[in-house]
Amino acid sequence: MSSRAGPPPLLAVDQLSCLFGGLVAVDQVSLQVQPGEIFGLLGPNGAGKTTLFNLISGITRPSSGAVHWKGMAITGAPSHRVAALGLARTFQNLRLFSSLSCLDNVRVGLHRHSRQPRLQALLGTRAFEQREAELRLEAWQLLESMGIAELADRPSTSLSYGQRRRLEIARALACRPELLLLDEPAAGMNTTEKGELAELIHRIRADYRIRAAHSLTVLIIEHHVPLMMELCDRLAVLNFGRRIALGTPLEVRRDPAVIEAYLGSAPQEDS
Amino acid sequence: MIDSTLLVQMLLGALLGLSVYLPLACGQLSLATPGFYAIGGTLAALLSTRVRALGGGESASGSGYPITSLLLEMLLAAVLCGVLANGIGAVVLRLRGIYLTIATIALVEILRVVSLNLTITGGAVGIFAIPQPFDQPAGYALFTLGLLLLVCWLCQRLAVTRPGLAMAAIRDDEIAAASSGIAIERWKRLAFVLSALVAGVCGVVAAHFLNAWNPRMGNFDASITTLAFVVFGGSRTWIGPVVGGLALTALPELLRPVGDLRLIVFGLVILLGPSLFPQGLITPELLANVARRLPLPLQQSLRLEKVRAQGEGKP
Repeated sequence: MSSRAGPPPLLAVDQLSCLFGGLVAVDQVSLQVQPGEIFGLLGPNGAGKTTLFNLISGITRPSSGAVHWKGMAITGAPSHRVAALGLARTFQNLRLFSSLSCLDNVRVGLHRHSRQPRLQALLGTRAFEQREAELRLEAWQLLESMGIAELADRPSTSLSYGQRRRLEIARALACRPELLLLDEPAAGMNTTEKGELAELIHRIRADYRIRAAHSLTVLIIEHHVPLMMELCDRLAVLNFGRRIALGTPLEVRRDPAVIEAYLGSAPQEDS
Repeated sequence: MIDSTLLVQMLLGALLGLSVYLPLACGQLSLATPGFYAIGGTLAALLSTRVRALGGGESASGSGYPITSLLLEMLLAAVLCGVLANGIGAVVLRLRGIYLTIATIALVEILRVVSLNLTITGGAVGIFAIPQPFDQPAGYALFTLGLLLLVCWLCQRLAVTRPGLAMAAIRDDEIAAASSGIAIERWKRLAFVLSALVAGVCGVVAAHFLNAWNPRMGNFDASITTLAFVVFGGSRTWIGPVVGGLALTALPELLRPVGDLRLIVFGLVILLGPSLFPQGLITPELLANVARRLPLPLQQSLRLEKVRAQGEGKP
C-alpha cells in the first residue's frame, strides 16, 4: 500500500474477492470509507453489493483479500465480533426477531451494552431493575426516533413493510455503531417514503452526534439513483462483482462505465 | 388417585422436560437429556453403593442414607455433566437443526452401550440396593418439589434477563442475532450445559428413588418421551415443559384401570395434543391472557404487568 498521512480510514476493503463455486460474486473490490461520510454502493441487481456487505460484516468468508477496521485486519472475523467493534447492519430481506415485540427487538440490539452483574440479575435487585428500566427507555427512544414508538409492545410481525425497515434501523443503532451498513433501506417503499428516507438518515446522524460521542458513518446500498446522488458524499459502483467507478456523485454520474452498465453502450457521440 | 410415588415420577418428568426445554429456548433441539440423566443416575448408584464414607455401603441397604451425601452426589453429578456437556457441546453444537438432534441421539446410545458393557456399572443387570435417603415416597416428593421449584425459578430469571433475550433472538434468527453482537456459540453452549446439569441432578434423585439403576434408564425411548413433554406442554415458556412433564408422566398411570387400552389412549393424547394445540398447551399468549385477568396488585407483585415503555419514557 502507498504511504498514507493521517489516520487510517474507518473501513478499508482491499482487493476483496468472493467465489461461489465458479461464480465470482465479488471480484477484487477495493474501497475506503472515511469517518463521518455517507458512502453509497450502487449497482444493478446481482452486482455483488449484498455479498460485499456480508463479507464485511463477517457473515460470509471472503475467498481472498482483506478487510481493515481502523487499520486492524478483521478479515473473516465472526459477525458478533465485527458487531462488537462498531459495525452494525440491516438486511435487504429484513431479519427481525419474529417472536419478540418491537421493543425487545431493539433491546437485542443493546445486547453488548446491557451486561449486568450476574448475581444482581439473578436476584433481580433494585439496582438491576433500575438499569433494565434505563435500557428499556433507551430502546424506546430509538423507536421514537424512527417514529414507531407507539408500536413498542406489538409483535414485530404485525408491522408494515416500511415500519419493519425502520425497526431494523433502530435495532442496528442500538448497537451504538460507528459504521452503519444499510442494505437497500428503501426497497419496497414508495417515492414519498424514499424521499423521507434521506431526511431520516440525516436526522439519525444529527441525533447520533448528540447521543454518542462520535459521528455516525454510513455505508448504504440502494438502487434509487436520485436518492443516492442527493444523499451520498461518495459512491462506488459495482457491476458483475467488479468496482467500475468510485468518486463523488457528480463524477460517478459522468463516468462512461456507469452509463454503460445502467443504460447499455452509449452512442458514439463524443468521438 | 395420585400417590406420593407417582408424584415423584411426575416431578422428575417436569425436571426432564425443563432439561429438554433449555437448549430449545435458543432453537437447539437436543435429545441428550437421557444421556446426562443416565450419567447422574449411574454416578449416584456407584457412589452410594461403593463408597462407605458417604454413609451407604453394603451394610446400609435400607433407609438412613445421609441427605448431605445425596446433595454431594448431586453436586458431583452437576460438575461432571457440566464439564462433559461443555466439551461435547463445543463440538456437537456446530451442527444445526436435525443434525444436532441426530448427534445427541448418538451420544445417548453410546452412553447406553458403554454402561451396558462395563462391569463396574453392572452390565445389563445394573446396580441394585441403592440406599434410601428418605423412608417414605413423600420425602422424595418434597425434596424433588424443592428441586423443581429451584430450577423453575432459575428458568424464570433466565427468561427475564439478558440471557433469555439473547436466546430468544438466536432461536428466531441466528444471523441477525450474531450481527447484533450476540456470541451465539457461547449462549448455545450455556443452554446445553444447563440442560445437562438439570438432567444429571435429576438422575441422582431418580437412582435413589428407584432403588435400582440399569442402562435402560437412558435410552432412545426416554429421549422421545422427554421430547413429548415439551411438544405437548409448549416450548416457548418454561411452564409448558413442566405442565407437559407432569401430565404425560401421570397419564399412563392414571389410565391403568382401562388395561392395555391405556397405551392407545396415551398414543391418542400424544397425537391429538400437537394437532389441536400446535404451539403446545401453554403459550405466551395464553399466559398473557391469564395475567390480564388477575387483580392488578397481584399482577404488579408478580411483575406480570407489561412494562409500558411509554409510561417510563414520558413523565
